[in-house]
Amino acid sequence: MAELKVNGKKVTVDADETTPLLWVLREDLGLTGTKYGCGIAQCGTCTVHIDGQPVRSCTYPVGALSGEEEITTIEGLSEDGSHPVQQAWVEMDIPQCGYCQPGMIMAVAGLLNNTPDPTDEDIDQQVTNICRCGTLARVRKGIHLAKTKKA
Amino acid sequence: MTRLKDPRAPKSPAMSRRGFLVSTAGTTVAFSFLAACSPGSGEAESDGEATSAPDVTYEPIKWFTIDSAGIVTINIIRAEMGQHVGTALARILADELEADWADVRINHVDSDPKWGLMVTGGSWSVWQTFPLYSQAGAAGRQALIEAGAAKMGVAPGDCSARAGEVICGDQKVSYGELVAGGIEKTFTEEEIGSIAIKPASERRLIGEPVQARDIAGKVDGTAMFGIDAKVDGMVYARPVMPPTRHGSKVNSIDDSAATEIKGYRQAIAIDDPSGTTSGWVLAIADTYPAAIKAADAIKVDWTPGPGADVSEEDILDRARTLISDDSAGSILDTGDVETAAAFEAAAQTIDQTYTCNTVLHMQLEPVNALAVMNGDTMEIHTGNQWQSLVLPWLSQALDMPEEKIVLKTYRLGGGFGRRLNGDYAVPAAIAAKQLGKPVKMVLTREDDSLLDSPRSPAVQRVRLAADGEGKVTGMEQHVAAGWPTKAMAPFFMPNGVNGAPFDPFAINGANHWYAVGPHRVRAIENTLANETFRPGWLRSVGPGFTNWALESFMDEAAHALGKDPVEFRLSLLTGEGRNAGSAPNSVGGARRQHEVVRRAAEKAGWGSELPADTGLGIATSFGQERDMPTWVACVARVKVDRDSGQVTAEKLTLVADAGTVVDPDGAMAQMEGASLWGLSMALHEGTAFEKGRVKDVNLNTYSPLRFGQAPELDISFVDSTEVPVGLGEPATTVVAPAIANAIYDAVGVRLRHIPIRADAVKAALG
Repeated sequence: MAELKVNGKKVTVDADETTPLLWVLREDLGLTGTKYGCGIAQCGTCTVHIDGQPVRSCTYPVGALSGEEEITTIEGLSEDGSHPVQQAWVEMDIPQCGYCQPGMIMAVAGLLNNTPDPTDEDIDQQVTNICRCGTLARVRKGIHLAKTKKA
Repeated sequence: MTRLKDPRAPKSPAMSRRGFLVSTAGTTVAFSFLAACSPGSGEAESDGEATSAPDVTYEPIKWFTIDSAGIVTINIIRAEMGQHVGTALARILADELEADWADVRINHVDSDPKWGLMVTGGSWSVWQTFPLYSQAGAAGRQALIEAGAAKMGVAPGDCSARAGEVICGDQKVSYGELVAGGIEKTFTEEEIGSIAIKPASERRLIGEPVQARDIAGKVDGTAMFGIDAKVDGMVYARPVMPPTRHGSKVNSIDDSAATEIKGYRQAIAIDDPSGTTSGWVLAIADTYPAAIKAADAIKVDWTPGPGADVSEEDILDRARTLISDDSAGSILDTGDVETAAAFEAAAQTIDQTYTCNTVLHMQLEPVNALAVMNGDTMEIHTGNQWQSLVLPWLSQALDMPEEKIVLKTYRLGGGFGRRLNGDYAVPAAIAAKQLGKPVKMVLTREDDSLLDSPRSPAVQRVRLAADGEGKVTGMEQHVAAGWPTKAMAPFFMPNGVNGAPFDPFAINGANHWYAVGPHRVRAIENTLANETFRPGWLRSVGPGFTNWALESFMDEAAHALGKDPVEFRLSLLTGEGRNAGSAPNSVGGARRQHEVVRRAAEKAGWGSELPADTGLGIATSFGQERDMPTWVACVARVKVDRDSGQVTAEKLTLVADAGTVVDPDGAMAQMEGASLWGLSMALHEGTAFEKGRVKDVNLNTYSPLRFGQAPELDISFVDSTEVPVGLGEPATTVVAPAIANAIYDAVGVRLRHIPIRADAVKAALG
């Protein structure tokens, strides 16, 4: 059993402490917006926030959480899709297949938490997610647009 | 266990509109694709609002309906995998129908024999659908105008339609009102075939900017992919991957270590009469993490099938051997295929060989399928690009008639051709039948790579003959690669002029539009590739590698003949004879290719001064096939670091002539994605077979393009009202040769193998 705080709500899940947070979110809590891609923290599709910091949930064991941390998933990033990153993503038609985008959006939202006015170098260093559809050029422009927006 | 109540989680089945709730015997499918579309995605119906569906619906033809509220629902049989295909196809029909776009809904349908061939690939969707949906929309408009004229007591000829209304002078009546009044007129496929469509000048939606309908759900986590499907009572499965793709046989299974894992249920061997899989064992568990662990813990003793010792070099060696055997393979009909005299008489010949490594799809959603027996029907919830191909395999595997098997439609977390091959649905369905309960099988990333139908490694020899003035007098291209179409869809293989069948998706591109005199194009199946693995269709298929060789070679030929690479190409794109093109698909022929080459060179500043170790390279193609040419050219600018051999792609300038562009932003996105996919294959990604398996199975060692490696893109389209052709792949075909040609321009070394690794560049620099 593990206690977690996800998207502002306290929940208790019956999961082995070695279970990656990803599967607890997807299977126990039904939050399927967070995706599985590689299982080894390489692709970033599983990115969520723990206390505002982007974390790859596919390798983050649920037992490493105390229950006090604020876990935020794509479903909890905003009430109505109005987070600046989401706004920019819609405005620029960024998603193609869309599978990597929840993780991409969480990674970018995390970047902006830490670095509100990122340079291209900041983006290269801090957003290491993979997009196979090839949205990368738009994502970069989207980040620069998102930083100008308010929630 | 507490479940979160997220305000924007999919609504409960009870709240869903009819059609979104699939009740099954003892099972409720709560997360079908359409249900996923309901709240917030903007696609499918804007249901979830408390309105009940109108009672009266008019279906002029199976492709769409209009209800008495005026809502137009357009059925889409193509898979949504990032190309916003529903938006593009719906715009075609809605334009002719004179519908109000705000009233249009998109319905991605499940498999059903009534839809005919269901396939999403080949960059075909818009091209194939355009005439059909234009005429379907026009038929609907005609019926509505007739009904509107009758209602208003005027002649149909005095009426027009616009934005969901029939108009006559200052009278008008809405489509919804006409439908409520009852319209009887329906159309067959044959009947709409003779209906005239509007002139291009009267198009109102086609070519205009639009927000794709599938975007919203993809930014808030509500978009549902196959991997998100769920039914009550399902168990999870993960395979223990057999040692070879073909012919592995299970001797024994020892799951004693797995029994310690909480949630583990059992291991089952899959008996697959369709031969789609062999030697499969599934770990069955209550949760997917338990299935992952269990599959790792289960020990299986197999007798491997063929190819267990095969390496990449073995496959390439087989290709070289086959190419040197003149009797091997199939000769394509390129007009005059007799080149011997030209080479004998040549004052100069150029002869080069190009190779490429195995490439994985590595689509980010690993393949998966949820199989549910519902009464006497097998329902399979999965993302799939070619329903019509996998249904017969499933029928054979399950010993059930095809009409009792339904593929439920989901969004695809990347297609790229991987999901044309629906092999992954088969073991899930067998397991569900065998266990008598719903089975959700998900492959881990590593499993997915091992099961992948990769792009085959290839060897290609290209030759050219020229006379004393440097005029090209003959050409040959010999291509040996694994043949996906032979492995999976042999009915799609035509015969060459020598009577031998060939895989068009492993040779297209070589049959180019340059005027070179006699032209011999030979397609050779790499038999060792097909024995060892199941070759796949991968974004840009044949032209993705044939054009790598062809356009690298054209550059080499230009330099050898003392000509500028752009001028050399332009001089051969004469658009005469066989290359003049024909209506409807290739009007203008090679002259349109001439134009994109000219424009790309001009836009990229061809011939201008560049910094040291920086170069420009050009490449062009006609996209995927001669019957549907998408004319494209690319100029790459690269910088080469002489010390490390590192190549930096600084900019790609692409110009495409795809005829009519239906959804401009979607078209642009396809060009962006296709060109970056091409760049990734040119410089970054690739693997190799080792002991019958690909050696790179995850993203720690398989290394597709990442952020800092994406160059500036300058992409433009030629304005055109010609037949719309495909855009998902053509840009992929030009990038690798443009990069290699740019490297040559920058530092004078010629790389003839992709991916081009830094160490190869360094070695070439000496």
